Amino acid sequence: MKARIEADLPFYFGPGRELFGFYHPAPAASGAAVLLCPPLGAEQIRCHRLYRQLAHALAEAGFPVLRFDYYGTGDSAGHGRDVDWTRCLADVATAATELRARSGAQRILAFGTRLGANAALDATDAALAGVVAWDAIADGAALVGELDRMQDALKVDLNRFDQARPELDVRLEWQGFETTEHLRAQLSVVGLPALGPRTAWLVSKGSDAVSEHADRQGRSVEAIDVAPRWDDIDRLEMAILSHPLIDAARRRLREMA
Amino acid sequence: MHEQAFRFGSSRHLVGIVGLPPVIDHGVGVVLLNAGMVYRIGPFRLHVDLARRLNALGYPTLRFDQSTIGDSGAGGKLLARPEQVVADVGEAMDLLHQQTGCRRFVLFGLCSGAQNAHSVAHADPRVVGALFLDGYGHRTLGQRLRHYLPRLMKASVWKQWITRKRAASGPRPPEPAFVVEPLPGKVVGGQLADMLARGLKLDFVYSGGVSRYFNHVRQFRECFGRLADHAGVSVSYFQESDHTYVLRGDRKRLLDHVAQWMGRHFPVTRPG
Repeated sequence: MKARIEADLPFYFGPGRELFGFYHPAPAASGAAVLLCPPLGAEQIRCHRLYRQLAHALAEAGFPVLRFDYYGTGDSAGHGRDVDWTRCLADVATAATELRARSGAQRILAFGTRLGANAALDATDAALAGVVAWDAIADGAALVGELDRMQDALKVDLNRFDQARPELDVRLEWQGFETTEHLRAQLSVVGLPALGPRTAWLVSKGSDAVSEHADRQGRSVEAIDVAPRWDDIDRLEMAILSHPLIDAARRRLREMA
Repeated sequence: MHEQAFRFGSSRHLVGIVGLPPVIDHGVGVVLLNAGMVYRIGPFRLHVDLARRLNALGYPTLRFDQSTIGDSGAGGKLLARPEQVVADVGEAMDLLHQQTGCRRFVLFGLCSGAQNAHSVAHADPRVVGALFLDGYGHRTLGQRLRHYLPRLMKASVWKQWITRKRAASGPRPPEPAFVVEPLPGKVVGGQLADMLARGLKLDFVYSGGVSRYFNHVRQFRECFGRLADHAGVSVSYFQESDHTYVLRGDRKRLLDHVAQWMGRHFPVTRPG
């Protein structure tokens, strides 16, 4: 285990070496490789440990894995206000190309959480052979509304602040990250694609729209709950960890490989 | 931006990002420590924003994950956590020296990162300065009076208390947490005095998010006495900010503060 972790490699890649990635080689290649698409904002930080654990589990199962950060997120170049949905989709394609080159795999599968799932589903240029989507966003406008409500609640949260700050204009901030009118407009129209790569749907409680979408596709849905919840502002800094999620994602990706 | 990712350390178990200024003057490098269990980018990407701001001002930086946090694995030696922290940050300084030529270092730590920065600053002679955010401090009589007296007069506090009492779920259960017992105040004071005698510059920044134990800039004197008068000590209290600087304006104010403190105590001779 330790020797394998030492082989994991952090690096910068893509045009201008602007994207940060973490490559996990597989001891015995299965013929397919897996790209892990992170969510955005605070959810990206909360899922970092989970993605690392999933990467190790998949590498042990024979999948070379690439984790990466979109432009303007994580360790990648760019400021938080530079995050652009179209660029996120382009970054998925760039990362898929990098993973093909490093692993030699011809088939690239992907796993994504929340907007990371949507990025994998919408990134047609990435030519993904299959996607495992956990709590994909079915209604972008509803997500924007939810993030706004969380931000309004956050600024008067006396568990966080010594004094409430109701007067602050926080319209262009979402839980620790700057946003823009452009990104708000882009995310407002995000949804689930009618057509797309082969998809396995994992959902937590309350994701009825995703379940209905999967039904229309004739696909089954597997329940994987999340704790703490995505919209729990009391636990914004708390990591989301889930062994059931890792088991389910690995199983679904094996079925697709 | 010029950043490079490294796996480093005697066991190659550590992962970090070196940020370089356009021109390196071989002066002082800044090492950013993990804030609690948050990985190297920091709470809400604070460490990335700060590192790049410092790079633009001419300071090389290293933000990295200590052993078993973020992307870093366990070290090869069986060390107690405090010794492991000193070893990890020592290897981080080794890396920044190899990449930039820096021989003197400033540490930046928030929360447990401040405690760890304190330990390393006391133990490693290469450290010449440290920024402690919501670091050591302890409750005093003055803190209790300032905390409780105004609250007794506020209707909103009573309303919140009653609302919580009525809530069906009851009080929030304690979260599972990895907690390191802080050093006793006298020990902390003695170690700070040692650091100041060595010439270190120390910046203490407290936020309103820790008003349960620190709630006024004057409290530093209540905790550490005459150390508050030392020329190497700066103390600030950002009452409106929360513990992790979740709001953009608060984060900007903190970054401005750090940049000014660095410029005052460790001016870059060949600015980037």
